[in-house]
Amino acid sequence: MPNCKPAPFLFAVSLCFSLAAAPPSKPDPAAVARGRKQFVSSCGFCHGNDATGNRAPDLVRSPLVNRDRGGDLLGPVIRAGRPDKGMPGFPFTDAQVADVAAFLHARVIEGLSSSNVPQDYPLARLLTGSAPAGKAYFEGAGGCSGCHSATGDLAGIASRFQPLALQNRMLAPHGPPPKATVTLPSGETVSGSLVHVDEFEVALRDASGWYRSWNRSAVRVEVHDPLQAHRDLMTRYTDADLHNVFAYLETLK
Amino acid sequence: MRRFLPLALLAASPMLAGGLLPEDLLKAPTTTWPTYSGDYSGRRFSSLNQINSSNVGSLALAWVFRAGSVPIKSTPLLAGGILYVTVPDNVWAVDARTGRRVWHYSYLSDGGDHIGNRGVGMYGDWLYFETPDAHLVCLNARDGTERWKVQLADVKLGYFATMAPLIVGNHVIVGVSGDVTDVPGFLDSRDPETGKLQWRWYTEPKPGEPGSETWPAHSDAITHGGGMTWMTGTYDPELKLLFWGIGNPNPVLAGAGRPGDNLYTCSIVALNPDTGKLVWHFQPSPHDVHDWDAVQTPIVFDADFKGAPRKLIAQASRNGFFFLLDRATGKNLVTAPFIETNWSTGIDSTGRPIRNPAKDATPDGALVSPGSDGATNWLSPSFNPQTGLFYVSARRLWSIFYLTADGKAEGWGGRDHNLWAESDVRAIDYQTGGIRWTHPIGRGQGTTGILTTAGGVLFTGDTSNHLLALDAATGTTLWHTNVGSGSESSPMTYQLDGRQYVLYGVHDMMFAFALPAAP
Repeated sequence: MPNCKPAPFLFAVSLCFSLAAAPPSKPDPAAVARGRKQFVSSCGFCHGNDATGNRAPDLVRSPLVNRDRGGDLLGPVIRAGRPDKGMPGFPFTDAQVADVAAFLHARVIEGLSSSNVPQDYPLARLLTGSAPAGKAYFEGAGGCSGCHSATGDLAGIASRFQPLALQNRMLAPHGPPPKATVTLPSGETVSGSLVHVDEFEVALRDASGWYRSWNRSAVRVEVHDPLQAHRDLMTRYTDADLHNVFAYLETLK
Repeated sequence: MRRFLPLALLAASPMLAGGLLPEDLLKAPTTTWPTYSGDYSGRRFSSLNQINSSNVGSLALAWVFRAGSVPIKSTPLLAGGILYVTVPDNVWAVDARTGRRVWHYSYLSDGGDHIGNRGVGMYGDWLYFETPDAHLVCLNARDGTERWKVQLADVKLGYFATMAPLIVGNHVIVGVSGDVTDVPGFLDSRDPETGKLQWRWYTEPKPGEPGSETWPAHSDAITHGGGMTWMTGTYDPELKLLFWGIGNPNPVLAGAGRPGDNLYTCSIVALNPDTGKLVWHFQPSPHDVHDWDAVQTPIVFDADFKGAPRKLIAQASRNGFFFLLDRATGKNLVTAPFIETNWSTGIDSTGRPIRNPAKDATPDGALVSPGSDGATNWLSPSFNPQTGLFYVSARRLWSIFYLTADGKAEGWGGRDHNLWAESDVRAIDYQTGGIRWTHPIGRGQGTTGILTTAGGVLFTGDTSNHLLALDAATGTTLWHTNVGSGSESSPMTYQLDGRQYVLYGVHDMMFAFALPAAP
């Protein structure tokens, strides 16, 4: 649902804004590991080893778990059980309750953070394409070799970027600003790096390094954007094409 | 302003000098702007024409109000010459003639997502405001003092609240937000005097009820299916139907655990406002796995369809398709893409796009248009009865969708990364779904809604910080000005003391434009 982008900046004046909710603090990894072991041996048979439910409910989605702080709500339930639902009590120590609570809170945090693809997303998940097919596309239908070379600008590219970053960069690269040429009413032309262009204005940095801008209605503008080819590929790429090209780039270590 | 009050109301409450009666919401908005979209229809069209296509070129700044806050994503509500402007946890009353602050109310949330707030609702002298920790607060509009507050949902479970409450009769209609956890969505009707619950409609049916067959049996999916109600709906006082767009299902990108259409997520629903009972539904995105909620304002209008007058409702949906329905029955009349999409293999016999499963999120990434931010989003559309055109700020947005979940997914279970976007204002012929004109507004995602007026003008923003005035009939630019930052809200207009103002939110400021006045 995210209904908008996060606020990019905040003007702190005299008002007090509590920004986003403080996420639950990350539990101690050692406690989580102990809790996981305890959970698997005592609870996993019914609640699933990952706590997402089996014969008994999914605890990652449990209101009780979400409202619990450090075992304060979980402890009584673990110890007394829910006899009406067939759950026996478990004589856990305070430390065991705290560890199981830490494990369950860690599982909740995993769910909460599942809307982010981690930067170290494993190559094995991305590498489904055929490198030879990708090479053929790169040198043929994709038109990539018109600008790029495996032994030139892309040499060693797979060693320079993590897999996810490489795939994203391949699809939507950052590059130098486009080149633009502005033709003035006098016929004079000014070329340089495009700074901004919209319906009303055009601005560039000319060969001497100075910023210059014009009203668009007064000039003719030609923009040469080398990244346009990447944009054009959006409507041409099949998913297989892009995974093949990615597999090929991953061979350029 | 002189008002004639029903005797019963006069006896029950003090004189409403600056207040708003429920029947005021039935009038065309001119000296008031009594709901999020201006009136119940949601068309964000004003009958004012002092500012028009022949003089808009001389529009000038009338005043600026600066909140000193996070960006304003609300539309100000106007009554009694006072504007009510909000951001999360904060409400300002502002003099609509001068931009001067009248009062400021601040609320201290107990956590909750502070992503935005869309505005207040008003009943009599009272304002209704939702909070990031999912409460509804009632304020005295005279001075911003708190009258009461009630909890709508438990913030600890992942709920929050952002929408502008809608007043229908003596119902305060409020929805909730939140899809990082797998919690059920609902729409509430609250008593304007006490905040007490009048009815609650859950966006998923109970197991065994009609619609439950669109969820897997013997699974907890239906009780954790999401479907938030985070944008203000619309209302037809003659049919006595409340129309609401429903949010996406959960887990958001991982659909394997919830096979089926997943009603009533990503649906437009018609409810009885007195009982909360479902009358009809239409689902723009069956079994959504791209976060394409169907909360975009469903606009109510009466117009000819195939030569006969008809009661219509239309939505330009986040999934890239425009839908025209009969609003008495929910029957689909038109389905047509308003941007180029690649996720659908066709339209089914009931007018719903058919999802191509090959474009679901995958571990290695699926290239999809539009991305999860949508072909449009919260930015208001407009319907102009003079041109017969439905206007939407549309995005051609390419994104790659990754499925990260292993095993049973919780929360999102994946995410998409935006690649390229270009945005346009598009004018849609409601009878065919055809695009009458397209006005490019630049690279990136448009974030501004649309206002149209009887002056033949369409107001919106581009992605280069301009406020634009376009000719509503042709899309030609009539006027523009650089306001220094982008707008993440939707413009509104009103006329006071014979002067028409157009309000435009820019970051934490409201800019008021009008024709030049005497010095």
